[in-house]
Amino acid sequence: MFLRAAARVAACLILAFVAGACSRSQPASTLPRTADGKPNLQGVWQVRNNAAFGLEDHVARHEMPAGRSVVEGRTIPYLPDAAKQRLELVATAENDPLSKCYMPGVPRIMYMPFPFHIYQTRDHIALTFEWSQVHRTIHTNGVPGPEGIDFWMGDSRGRWEGDTLVVDVKDLNDKTWLDTTGTFHSDQIHVVERYTMTDPDTIQYEATIEDPKVFSRPWKISMPIYRHKDRERILEYQCQAELEEASGDFERDPRTWYPGPTAKPVEIPADWAAMAAPKSFDLPATSEPTPGRPGQAAPPEAAKPSGPPPPIRRMADGKPDFSGFYMADGGGGNYGLGKHEQDFLTPAGRGIIVDPADGVLPMQAWAQAEVKSRQLPERGYDDPTAHCFVAGVPRSMYVPSPLHILQPPGYLVILHERMSWRAVPLDGRAHLPDEVRLWQGDSVGTWDGDTLVVETTNLNGKTWLNEVGEIVSHAQRVIERFQPINGDRIHYQATVSDPLVYTRPWTIAFALNRQKEELLEVACHEDNQDLQHLKDVRDEARAKARTNSTR
Amino acid sequence: MGRARFTGMVAALVGTMAVSAAAHHSFSAEYDANKPLKLTGKVIEMRWSNPHAWIYINVTGKDGKVVKWAWETGGANALYRRGWRKEDLAAGTVLIIDGYQARNGSTTANATSITFQDGRRLFAGSSNPNAPK
Repeated sequence: MFLRAAARVAACLILAFVAGACSRSQPASTLPRTADGKPNLQGVWQVRNNAAFGLEDHVARHEMPAGRSVVEGRTIPYLPDAAKQRLELVATAENDPLSKCYMPGVPRIMYMPFPFHIYQTRDHIALTFEWSQVHRTIHTNGVPGPEGIDFWMGDSRGRWEGDTLVVDVKDLNDKTWLDTTGTFHSDQIHVVERYTMTDPDTIQYEATIEDPKVFSRPWKISMPIYRHKDRERILEYQCQAELEEASGDFERDPRTWYPGPTAKPVEIPADWAAMAAPKSFDLPATSEPTPGRPGQAAPPEAAKPSGPPPPIRRMADGKPDFSGFYMADGGGGNYGLGKHEQDFLTPAGRGIIVDPADGVLPMQAWAQAEVKSRQLPERGYDDPTAHCFVAGVPRSMYVPSPLHILQPPGYLVILHERMSWRAVPLDGRAHLPDEVRLWQGDSVGTWDGDTLVVETTNLNGKTWLNEVGEIVSHAQRVIERFQPINGDRIHYQATVSDPLVYTRPWTIAFALNRQKEELLEVACHEDNQDLQHLKDVRDEARAKARTNSTR
Repeated sequence: MGRARFTGMVAALVGTMAVSAAAHHSFSAEYDANKPLKLTGKVIEMRWSNPHAWIYINVTGKDGKVVKWAWETGGANALYRRGWRKEDLAAGTVLIIDGYQARNGSTTANATSITFQDGRRLFAGSSNPNAPK
């Protein structure tokens, strides 16, 4: 008996060494698998431990429960000088970069008390986080990462070792902590993660951390991550926006923001439906990318004349395959959707409104006056993107920075370089209840032949359409159409119906052009010095107005 | 910095400005069209950051007083994609910078063109006949 047990332990040890798969109760064959046979990690996940507050054994503090160590050997092997430095840092939680809503880095994002959604394709695995719309992409296509640049969330390159996903995380900056206890590191940090599914609802997560400037040896954390079985999607927690709303730095606009759950739902007039009916408009005539046109980004690869464009790419089920990196030919929409000339430091735009035919937004009178007001220098501070908040829909599609489309089974996922994301389920599910309002809204998609039609509702009315303050409210409903032109171009259009702001629906159209370059990372509020300048301008104007009114 | 790298860097920057000026919020609200500026100074450091990178220069006035100016440029990602690296703009480099001062009156400005002493331009429009191709 004893011998048999001993033999099993020995076998286990060998197995553990070879495959990291000893005490696992589940035979590997029962794991969910992708079409190419890999364990299918797709789903909503979260840890159940208190590692976010302390990786080592720790006592409770205000709003931070006590917890057990997830570190192999229980303590983190700081070098003597680094240990001293950590003690100095740990004094208050306010020193924690996370308290400023800076991105948490890797591995910390993995054990935050917020869920995340994994979307899995052969070439890329996207992790989208509820916390501040942060996302990570694990590149599993063998393409090497960029050199000479660092990121808050690092650069992740993955490979499968049997059924374990092994991820090399490099190019992390030195500005994050690993938990709330002063666990700093240098920019020499290198993290190797291992994701091993032990049953359909559990991923055993390990991260080996090395940093020769700070730690005496590599060390390892490990913990299970559990599938959420009671939620099919994650929502939002916009750390910086919530912080600024709570402090009064970002002020409510009662004309556009969602008034709250007691509000009567805004009905879209019956005769608008025909006007917003799905139809494809021609792209504005000048949207064909012209290499070297002044004021435009460098032309994408697709625009260079090199033979006929590639045919439409298709998924196994015959639907168009949009997956890839894109740059919008957004025609300066971020500075005005209609045709406009350059004005001082605001770039020109060719106009992307295709309906109404005059190319002018059909705004109600109050909205026209409000747009004028938003263009006063003292209102520059009110633009949510000046605060680095996410752009909303459809603005996030034409801000001048690239996006990454993934098409895992059942979804279209859009990752934006300006650190936000949108997941479009294609399973026919209903929208969220009207009372749930989100910066990026609630999108659902259906196929209409080769065109993906995406409907977005549940928006919060906090976003602007662009820097010149064109308006949408919480009543906004958006229908987007993604129609393949060829393998490298998508005809994109968005029809916005917003009865609080407009007299009828309107539609914009432009091309999304495939590019080879991956996304980098925009950590917008890490160094957003502009916001203070804009605040100074606003405060000065307010002080002047007060003085005038008391005279 | 090797000569080849340097030339590459200058070439890479041509045409950047049109894009970088088009960044993420209303510069028109932040900077004053009535306060155009042209200053010559020595680079203190370049802050490689998003949404915008910043070049800090020391400007010596007629009275001999040295004033630090912050110049806003395109974002780090745009610079990276055009071949720039963090260490490329060495401290001590003399630059002539054109742009507009912030409305709040601080020694902060938005750069519309940046020129080396020998006339080569960073962030130059391609209309500049001397701009390296």
